[in-house]
Amino acid sequence: MPGRKPAAPKDSTLCRRCQINEPAITTKVVKRMDSFRVKHSDPGQERVLLLPLSFGACSTTLLYLLSEHMKGQVERTGRSGYKLHVLHVDEGFNSDDNASRMQLDTVKERFPEHTYSLSSLAEVTSMEGITSMFKQEAEHENQESSTPPLSMNELLSFLTSATSRTDTLQILRRRLITTFAKIHGCESILWAHSTTRLAEVTLAETAKGRGASIPWLVSDTSSPHGIQYFYPMRELLTKEIIAFSSLVEPPLIELIVRDVAKPAVSTKNTSIDDLMRQYFESVEREYPSIVANVVRTTGKLQAPEVREAEERCELCEMPLGEEAPARSRLCYGCIRTLPWVEN
Amino acid sequence: MLPHPCEICKIARAQILRPKNSSRICAPCFTALFEAEAAETIIANNLFQPGERVAIGASGVLASVLKTLNERHDWKLDLVLLSIDEGIQGYRDHSLEAVKRNGADLDLPLKIVSYEELYGWSMDQVVAQIGKKGNCTYCGVFRRQALDRGAAMLNVGHVVTGHNVDDVAETVLMNLLRGDLPRLSRGTSIVTSTPSAVPQSGAQNGEKAVLFTNVKRSKPLMYAYEKEIVLYAHHKKLDYFSTECLYSPEAFRGSARTLIKNLERIRPESIMDVVRSGVDMAKLVPGSTSNCKGECSNGSTAKVASADDEEADGGCGSGTASNGSDSMADMEMKLQQNERAEANGTETEVSMPERKAEATSMGVPHNHETYLSLSPSGSTSGEVPGGLCAAKTAIIPMRTKEEKRSSRKPARDAAAPKQRLGQCERCGYLSSQAVCKACVLLDGLNKARPRTGVEVGGGD
Ligand SMILES: [Zn+2]
Ligand SMILES: [Zn+2]
Ligand SMILES: [Zn+2]
Repeated sequence: MPGRKPAAPKDSTLCRRCQINEPAITTKVVKRMDSFRVKHSDPGQERVLLLPLSFGACSTTLLYLLSEHMKGQVERTGRSGYKLHVLHVDEGFNSDDNASRMQLDTVKERFPEHTYSLSSLAEVTSMEGITSMFKQEAEHENQESSTPPLSMNELLSFLTSATSRTDTLQILRRRLITTFAKIHGCESILWAHSTTRLAEVTLAETAKGRGASIPWLVSDTSSPHGIQYFYPMRELLTKEIIAFSSLVEPPLIELIVRDVAKPAVSTKNTSIDDLMRQYFESVEREYPSIVANVVRTTGKLQAPEVREAEERCELCEMPLGEEAPARSRLCYGCIRTLPWVEN
Repeated sequence: MLPHPCEICKIARAQILRPKNSSRICAPCFTALFEAEAAETIIANNLFQPGERVAIGASGVLASVLKTLNERHDWKLDLVLLSIDEGIQGYRDHSLEAVKRNGADLDLPLKIVSYEELYGWSMDQVVAQIGKKGNCTYCGVFRRQALDRGAAMLNVGHVVTGHNVDDVAETVLMNLLRGDLPRLSRGTSIVTSTPSAVPQSGAQNGEKAVLFTNVKRSKPLMYAYEKEIVLYAHHKKLDYFSTECLYSPEAFRGSARTLIKNLERIRPESIMDVVRSGVDMAKLVPGSTSNCKGECSNGSTAKVASADDEEADGGCGSGTASNGSDSMADMEMKLQQNERAEANGTETEVSMPERKAEATSMGVPHNHETYLSLSPSGSTSGEVPGGLCAAKTAIIPMRTKEEKRSSRKPARDAAAPKQRLGQCERCGYLSSQAVCKACVLLDGLNKARPRTGVEVGGGD
């Protein structure tokens, strides 16, 4: 199915609405996967791509679409142009990860052809530099590098606002996934961000003072972390993806764990990311093309050349550039997000 | 709440929770800090030349701060207040006395320029003519030129405006939402200058005459929080006027403004951070010329290729960008048309001619920054500085409606604009079109106005 022309015969297992939508949805994703066509890889040397799976509608749908894409490749050429390594990062810091494990098994049953891994966000605290950065900075104590890793809850307790927590968690999640991909020989990471999500990211990062990093966070580009980022769902709105995911047969619904949207009690507990998510949820409803236009235009921003030797921010690992605050090993956005760092 | 000592002087009781960073300080420390930060911005960006003549097209706060700093730092600036009167009944009236008082208190000369004087149309007349929807387009285009024209009338080559950090942040978000990278790249510049396409004319009264096409603009309060400007006004007993546009329904700017207000509630510093991001992103815009911003001496000066193009700086007119209006609904419609056309491979068929888009879509009006250049109308017709008047009429041949009536034919001949970078062939203002936006809008107004048009006063 994937890769077929919009005029291709309809798949009778799909419902009517789906028969109409599916080719367009598929086409938009498949054309983004152009560099992973069969002819671009040598037989027996399939390229491994990491697909971070949150169990949300977007990443689950991407997994479905790419599974179909690969099947199509195999049908046509006898092999696929790439392999998927699916990674779920568990974020329940205390609880056992049984729920995640079981959910991942369900996904695996449906798409058994891929490699699956489960990781926990708490593992970031044992990554180089993280515990010492938080511990030394936050506690001003003489505990040097030999201290045991912080627990995730301890780490979060240093972050005093909802914005700081959300922002830091995002950064740590990205670091964990990127590191995982590199360790496991993945060539690229396929992020399942929709157009809507990318627009959110653009405005949220702008508001967090991270404008300089935006090209690396929203465009198909080699990230400064030494691995390629791709956003194959960048031309689909969140609402399109959700609608689509509910129409696939057999249903994807069972594989999707919906975010329990926690209603913001007060603006104090709202993060900048929450604000932008709510904002684009409503803009997407009325002005979908404006959302798409935001993403199209910011996609034209040119990421500066990154030199290997260039200094990176200790937290987000983005290049510090020339304008980094002189006395800091942190970028402007990370200085803002870590409450104990003086501006 | 227990009384807190001021975090700066440690002596006085803290009366103020600083909007910018939530520090608790006393009023004298706050006003001193506010002034010091403004001075820092001015000095760091080399905004003024010693002895420069500067028109303040802005609020009581900016005027007061500049007057104070000018004396404190001995900059020897020749300051003059410049007010634009759009001619909106009731909108300016209440602030008239305040502006005059402000000028008198500060002992600065005040010059009021009315739209009627400059264009032959007050905003009330425009509204009477075209209705409430879309009139902001006129207001913005007219205002953009009005400050420059007013400055030239005063023979001043530098206008300072009261844009604050909220305004600039709002512009950054607005341009992201509109997908307007060129404006994104210019919107954060503290100085914008319009390079003159017109050779400097001869000396006038021993001085070089200032052409309105070459007036430098800057924003000395660009890093000041709106709330702090209000606080400063309060503690200095200055008047502060809201800058809300009378006609401001939901639009890109309104949407961006709401976001900024919400961001401020979540994290006050984020207003500054949006601006910081805007500056950083400006360097990533393909073909950007602002790569050395903040590093080299005039790095933060945005050269404006076309004066028409620069309205974003003036606030109000930004909605009438060359590629569309300020209405989200209008833009959505246009984008969807383009998408459909692209899908059918017929994109060119629906792309509207620029002229038509300007003249017809007009946008939904939005907030605009007026910066308190408030004035009465009609009281100033005789105030054009002696000796300059004749020269200015030569330099600024903007036609009023009376002139237009007697020469309709040339107007029609000029109706086929060609794309080029140059001057408006009517008024000499820098424009990428043969006829600038103001002249185009005036054309439309003048054509529509009945010849008997004595309905001055906006009767409807
Ligand atoms: Zn950073
Ligand atoms: Zn004090
Ligand atoms: Zn003109």
